[in-house]
Formats: sequence, structure tokens, C-alpha cells
Amino acid sequence: MRTAELVIIGGGPAGMAAAVKAQELGIQDIVILERDSHLGGILQQCIHDGFGLHRFGKQLSGCSYAQIFVDQVQKKGIQVECNTMVLEITQEKKIIAVNDKEGLMEIQADAVILAMGCRERTRPQVRILGTRPAGVLTAGAVQRYINMEGWKPGERAVILGSGDIGLIMARRMTLEGIFVEGVYEVMPNLGGLRRNKAQCLDDYQIPLHLSTTVVRVHGKRRLEGVTVAEVGPDRKPVPGTKRYISCDLLVLSVGLIPENELSRKAGIVMDPVTKGPVVDDQMMTSIPGIFAAGNVGAVFDLVDYVSQTGEQAAQGACQYLKDSGKNVLEHSVKAGENVSFVFPQKFSSEHQKQAEFYLRVKKTMRQATVHVWCGEKELCQKKVPFATPPEMVAVKVPLAGTENHSITIEVEQEVKG
Amino acid sequence: MENREVGCQIKELEKELGIAEGSVSFEMKDEILYLEGNLDGLQIMVDFCHKAAKIPGVKNLVSHIRTPESKPVVPVDLEPYQKKGVLDSVDVAIIGAGVTGCAAARTLSKYDKKILVLEKESDICEGTTKANNGMVHSGYDSKPGSLKALCNVEGNAMYSQWAEELGFHFNRTGSFVCGFNEEDMKAIQGLYENGVKNKVPGIKVIDGTRAREIEPNLSDQIIGALWTPSAGYVEPYEVTLALAENAVDNGVRFLLNTPVLGILREGDQVTGVVTDKGVIQTKAVINAAGLYADDIARMAGDEFYTIHPRRGTLVIFDKENRGKLHTFAGKAPGNYTKGGGPQETPEGTLLWGPSAKEVADKEDMGVDQDDLDFVIEKGLELTKNISQDTLITYFSGNRAATFQEDFVIENSKKLHGFMHVAGIQSPGLASAPAIAKRVEKLFLELMPKASVKADFDPIRAGRKPFRECSNEMRQKMIQENPAYGRIICRCETVTEGEILDAIHGKIPAHTVDAVKRRTRAGMGRCQGGFCGGKVVDILARELKIPPNQVTLKGNGSEILKNPTRQSQGGEQE
Repeated sequence: MRTAELVIIGGGPAGMAAAVKAQELGIQDIVILERDSHLGGILQQCIHDGFGLHRFGKQLSGCSYAQIFVDQVQKKGIQVECNTMVLEITQEKKIIAVNDKEGLMEIQADAVILAMGCRERTRPQVRILGTRPAGVLTAGAVQRYINMEGWKPGERAVILGSGDIGLIMARRMTLEGIFVEGVYEVMPNLGGLRRNKAQCLDDYQIPLHLSTTVVRVHGKRRLEGVTVAEVGPDRKPVPGTKRYISCDLLVLSVGLIPENELSRKAGIVMDPVTKGPVVDDQMMTSIPGIFAAGNVGAVFDLVDYVSQTGEQAAQGACQYLKDSGKNVLEHSVKAGENVSFVFPQKFSSEHQKQAEFYLRVKKTMRQATVHVWCGEKELCQKKVPFATPPEMVAVKVPLAGTENHSITIEVEQEVKG
Repeated sequence: MENREVGCQIKELEKELGIAEGSVSFEMKDEILYLEGNLDGLQIMVDFCHKAAKIPGVKNLVSHIRTPESKPVVPVDLEPYQKKGVLDSVDVAIIGAGVTGCAAARTLSKYDKKILVLEKESDICEGTTKANNGMVHSGYDSKPGSLKALCNVEGNAMYSQWAEELGFHFNRTGSFVCGFNEEDMKAIQGLYENGVKNKVPGIKVIDGTRAREIEPNLSDQIIGALWTPSAGYVEPYEVTLALAENAVDNGVRFLLNTPVLGILREGDQVTGVVTDKGVIQTKAVINAAGLYADDIARMAGDEFYTIHPRRGTLVIFDKENRGKLHTFAGKAPGNYTKGGGPQETPEGTLLWGPSAKEVADKEDMGVDQDDLDFVIEKGLELTKNISQDTLITYFSGNRAATFQEDFVIENSKKLHGFMHVAGIQSPGLASAPAIAKRVEKLFLELMPKASVKADFDPIRAGRKPFRECSNEMRQKMIQENPAYGRIICRCETVTEGEILDAIHGKIPAHTVDAVKRRTRAGMGRCQGGFCGGKVVDILARELKIPPNQVTLKGNGSEILKNPTRQSQGGEQE
């Protein structure tokens, strides 16, 4: 059986950042297992810009952002197995994978970083009624067809969901000559980043319809149209607001779900809110020596954060390999007032003086303040001029004086007196 | 029965249903009741016909009653199609490649006859057969003595042999009808007695505790249940493919994308069928056209039943629920709408449904909110520990029901050589082996000199899917052909090798859905989000067509439209 110090599952931004960092920290025997034919993950099809602002201080395309890491992986001579699908990870960190060169392979790893990314939610998950014709696709699938395969899956599109991919695809399809009738969003607020709305919808006069959703698909073989309806606060259609729109393409940008089939099979404890493994500030899961990085843990809005969690996982793995398996998941980080989740969910003050936490707020707030509490003691606070659910907030928390206590992170809106 | 008596009964029915007198006119001939007229709505028409079919002396019923939902029937001019000439000359033409047609083809393939199966869709198994819950019913609920009851119990027993010969998944898990109160238990007692009359093996009524011993995730509210251990489950598309492949092994041919437009005769002998591609000369025709069997019967000049589509919606859940349910759990049924409940398919997928709703259009396979609510509420009521958040898809199929609500399996009395195998609705899948046996008997009446071929082989050599193979077997497969080492569908662990086998199989899969039914690529939790494009690529490459000619389910369902600017030669903004 093959062995490796560190096996990284997935060669997207999280996996590559983890590999580069781990090698810098002195781990020699690293293998990246990637199911696609190339490294880069979903960034390969992201030809639009806006990547790397936090990390590199400039706007890169997804491909350029990925290439920086691909180059580093190659320069450092990190071993990469492409076209390789992991079928199983055991609790003992044995990995069973398959490719067409070696067939089935087993690798015994000392540490594992899960970096499988996420997948798109589909039409049935948002309960659209009607028939099942061709012409109903997720935004990621449309992006792949247009940017990588060179094919347009329709000529007249309706987009459901104002998440970032939906907004980006509204612009991309327009540039390809596809008529984008509008973007529909079931929630009363934008699902993606504000800058994406400005650059992708407003600049092209593509209308955004909030509190409106697609309720039905029409057409037997190929999509002929959709029915949209306004929704009330209960997200149910408001009677009398139904409208038929003729289109041959329905693009769904209705959310992302961490890909955790392998994690679940391995018996890793999952968080029902993030739909990813529960991890500590070293990104270690409930199984010592198995770490999670990037969107497999929680869906991030910025790739910069994804890379960062990859590096955190690499540090965690390095630490783990040094002192081999100290206990994990010590203290909880709780989501307090106005916070839907905090990632990571646990921390240990032993290794680090401070830890970075990512959180999503529940509602849009201006002049908000993030408070981090350990019991009665406020560890730190951070001002956020504009906080909105689609945009993650990152906060660095000093861990001194938290021994054996959980912390709570809450967000407060400044009350104007 | 005298026409006058039937007239009185019709009048009474009109009164009973609150319909204006004289809305429906009738004719009674050779025990068949023909109805015409206009009614206000679909459901009232169905109710009327169901009741009229029960008038003593009525063997079956043809309804030409129009409702606001009715669409005009446009007669087809056969001449241009006949002018295309003779396409083929066979002994037996089977119309329809669902489970009934494929079972007939496989059973008759043992004889020294030239058999051709005609299918209007782009693949076998594209109609009722693809969208049902895969249940092999035990047979407790059909009316004793009906063809349904006889074929069901007999067919159920034959499934073990079919599964062995044809190599498909079959789990004989048993099934429950659950009671929540004394009233339900009375209905269950009635079903039990019915089942005993139908000779259902092992049937018994058990209490709630015993039921939960067998199936721990049954609701705690269930006080008792009808238990029939002989019920089982198959994947209906897998059964149909296995039958079709074995038929091909034994010389049967399939012609897909070929609708039948007319039936040809000389005197009272059938001589051929007219298709959109030309004429097929044949000595016998087997009408296994499912939802369209009444249309085919009309073409043969022997229309004595009407098919009214009854839609069923099914809901599929993520495989993470695997093992939560092993058997089928239903509720005591009301009138004709049997409907199903939760179960786990042999592939380990949790499936809820179907619902049952009369629809006007045979092609109406949409899903409405009430269908979905019905299935989900029933599933939640019957089970525990299953979250509807793990739902991955839903879809509908239509049952091909006659108003007599029984199967029609007989040779035509009006057109020699024409066989009716119609009204095959639930439990049609369970009954399929027994129906095929009856078809064989009827065939021998038509062709008494047919003899069994010496080289007939009932065994279908199948390959185990990669996901079910041991690691040693997988390694061997990949060594033989590296395509088995390339995973295309990550949710269901489907390899490129399996997709290539499907595309170049005995019944070649030429659409994305056909590939899906043979391999499960796209059936998993991402619903083809990741593998859809790859399957399109592989199909285009193997069929040597551009990707925008690859279809989801036949002509008109192309997935891609036009090339992008860049792929047209880099035209710039």
C-alpha cells in the first residue's frame, strides 16, 4: 500500500493553498488527488474577474488566480494525481481512489485535508413544479458549457436566484448574445455581492425582481417558458401575481451545498447549518488528523477566504503530524444575536494566540459591530459599515484568557439616538 | 341486457351525478358500452364512466364524451406514409416497448418467428414503465377473479425466476398496509380477506409492535398492518432493459423513434402496420401501446376500451437515507386511487409515492403542488426519522387505465392476427411475467405451428455495475479497459466504461436519459449537474454528431443550441 504524510482531496483553491503551505511548513510527502483532468477546480471556468482582491490586492480572473497556485504546486514539485476519484476515506485515514492508469489505489495517510468544494442546489430542491424538459440547467453547468465547451444552451434565458454565479452568468450570457429576460430572487434581498449586481446587472440593464420566484416550468421536450410569481413573507406565491415568460433556458443559481459524501461515509460529525464538518480553528474535524478546507466546510463568498482556510488546515495538519493527535474540538464558538453561523465552530487556545472566524449575519445591517464574548468578558470587537447575509465577515479573535470557555460572536446594529 | 335497461341505468347515473338528462348518449353492442356527449369536467366524466362500466352486462366501455379539457382528434392521412414503401416484413409486430411489450418480445423470442418491436419514443421504457415505483405487488387488493388479480399473484411468483435468468435487482422485502385507527383496521381486514381469495402467500394481519419489529422506522402511531411477505421491488427500467436485451439475444429487433399511424388489413386478417417511415408487413400485431392502446385498437377497427390517464407523482430522496426503510408502507386505499407510500428501491434510494390523479392529456406528466403535497404528507405520516430536506427529485408518470379498471388481454374478435394487451396499469409491472405467459398462449392460437428454437437462451449475460463490484473485480475491469477507471458520475459512481457499454449496447442508448436509465449517471443528488455535460460529450463523440444534436429524450429535446462567439472563430465585442 502507498503511504503519504498528507493527502489532500481536491485540487481547487483550498486544496492547492493547503498543499503549498504544508510544503512550506516542512511536510515533504504530500499528494493531491484531483478528480478533474486539471488542477484549479471550479475556478477553471471562472473567466470573469474579481478574484484575489484581499489576498493579492488586485482583480484577477478565476483562471489567473488558480494559475498562481498551480505554478507554485508545480514549482515545489508537489505530487498531483489528476483524473483520480476518491471513493472512500476510512476513520484510520486509508484512502481508496481510482483512476484509469493505476486502477484502484489505496493510500495510507498520516493526515488528510478534505477540499472537495461544493455543488449546486438543483431545481427540485427549490420545488419548481411542472414538466422536465431540456433547457433547465444550474448556473455552473451553463458557465461550463459557455466558457469551456463553447456552446450556448439557449438563446432566451430567465435566471432564478441572485447568488453570485447567477449574476455573473447574466452578464456572460448577455455578452454571448443570449437575451436575459431578468433575474428572479425569492428573498427580499440580493443573494450575491453588491459589486456583482452593479457590474453584471445594472451595467447591462438586466432587471432584478426581488421577492419573486419561478413556480412552474413549461414544455414537454425543450423548455418553452416559465411561470413566475411574487411571493409573500412566507415565500409562498401571492395569488394574482403569476406571469408567463417565454424562454428556452432557465438558469438556476439557488445556492451551494458543501460536498461531504466522503466525510459522512467516514463518520465525521457534521454541522446541520453549514452542511460541512464541524471543525476547530486548525480546521480539524471530529476525526483527529482529518481536516477540512474551503467550501467543503462552509460555502464562502470569496476565494481569498477559501485559500486562507486551506492554509489554516495545512498549519493544523503540520501541528498534528508534529505532536500526533492531541484532542480536538475543545471549545465551542456560538452564533449569537443576528448571526446565522460561525466557522470554524470550535477552537483550542493551545496552539495559537489568535484565530480567524468567519460568520454570516442574518439580516442586512448598516454600521454594525461584531462583538466577541467569552462569558462576561469582551475579547474584541469589529466595526462593519455594511453587513449583509451574502457577504461573509471575517474577524480575528485573540484567544488569551479563554481557557476552557466557549465564546459567542454576535453582531449589533448601532442604534441612532 | 336490453338497450332499454341500459338507458334507464344511464339516466339514473346522470341524476346521481347531477348531470342534465340526455347529456350522455349511448350504444350497447356485443357487451361493449359506447358513450358520447358533453360533460362539464374531466373528473365528472371519469366518475360517470367508472359507474357506467359497472352496469351489469357491460364488459368494457368506450368513452367519446367530450369535456372542456378534450383536444380534437386529427385523423392521419396514411397515403403519404404508405407511399414510402415496405420497410420490413415480419411475423409479429409488437407495438410499444414498455415492460409489457418487451416481456412479450422476450417470451415469444423462443419461437422461430421474425419479431419486430415498434416504439414511437427514442428509447424503450419511455412511457408508463419508467415512472412507477417499481413495486412487485403481492396481489391482495385486486378484485378476486379479475385478470389483474390472477396475473398479479402469478406474476409475483414468477419474478424470482425472471430475476435469476435476466440478472436484474429484485428484493422480495414484503409490504405493509398500515392502520392508524379502528376504521383503517376494518379496511385492512377487508383487504386481508380479499388477499386470501386471491391466494396471496403468507398474508396476515399483524399489530403495530410486530410491524415495527419488521420495519423500525414505521410511525409509532400505527396500530396494526396487513403484511404480505411476497411483495418485492425492482427498478422498472432495469427489468425492461433486461427483457429487451434478452429478446435481442434471441433475434428480436427493435425499431425506435417509429410511431404507428395505421393498421392494414385484408378482409378480416391483419397484414401490416403503417409507420412514419413506411409499411411493415406482418402476420400478427400485438398492441402493447400502453397509454395509446385505445388509439391503436381504433386503427385496427376494434375499439372496445378507452384509456384514461391517471397520473402518479413520485418523490426520490438522497441515498444518505439508505437503510431507513426496507419494505413498502401503504395506507388503506380509497376507491380506484391506490397510490403508493414510502419504500426503498433495490438501488438503495428512498422513494415516496405515487399519488393518483385523473388527467386529461396522456402526455401531461407535470408535477403540481397538490401531487407533491399528497406524496410528502403521506410519507411523513407513515414514517419517522426521514427529513424532506433530503429530497433530490420528483416526477410523474401516467397509468394506462380502462374504465373497467382491469387488464384486457385477448385476441381481437374483429381482426384476425391482432392481439390486445391493454389497460396494463398498476399492478402491471408485477403482473408482467404472467401477462407475457398469456400473450404466449394467445400467440399460439394465432400461430399454432410456431415451434421453439433449439438455440433459445433465456439467460441474459449482464455485467455488474462498477459501484457494486468488489475492489478486486474493479481492478480487473480497469486493467481490461481503462475506461472503467474514469468516474463520470460522482454521485452514483458511474464509469465511462459503463456509459460506453450503454451507448453501444444491445438496445443502444442514444439520449442522455437513455444513458441515465442504463447506468444511473445523473440519477444522484446533483441530478446531472456535474456529469450532464460529460455525458453529452461522450454521446457526441461516440455517435459522431455535434454536441448540439445530443438530446435529453429524443428529437426536440436538444440540450445545447448554438456555438459561442469564440468557438465560431473568436468574434470580438
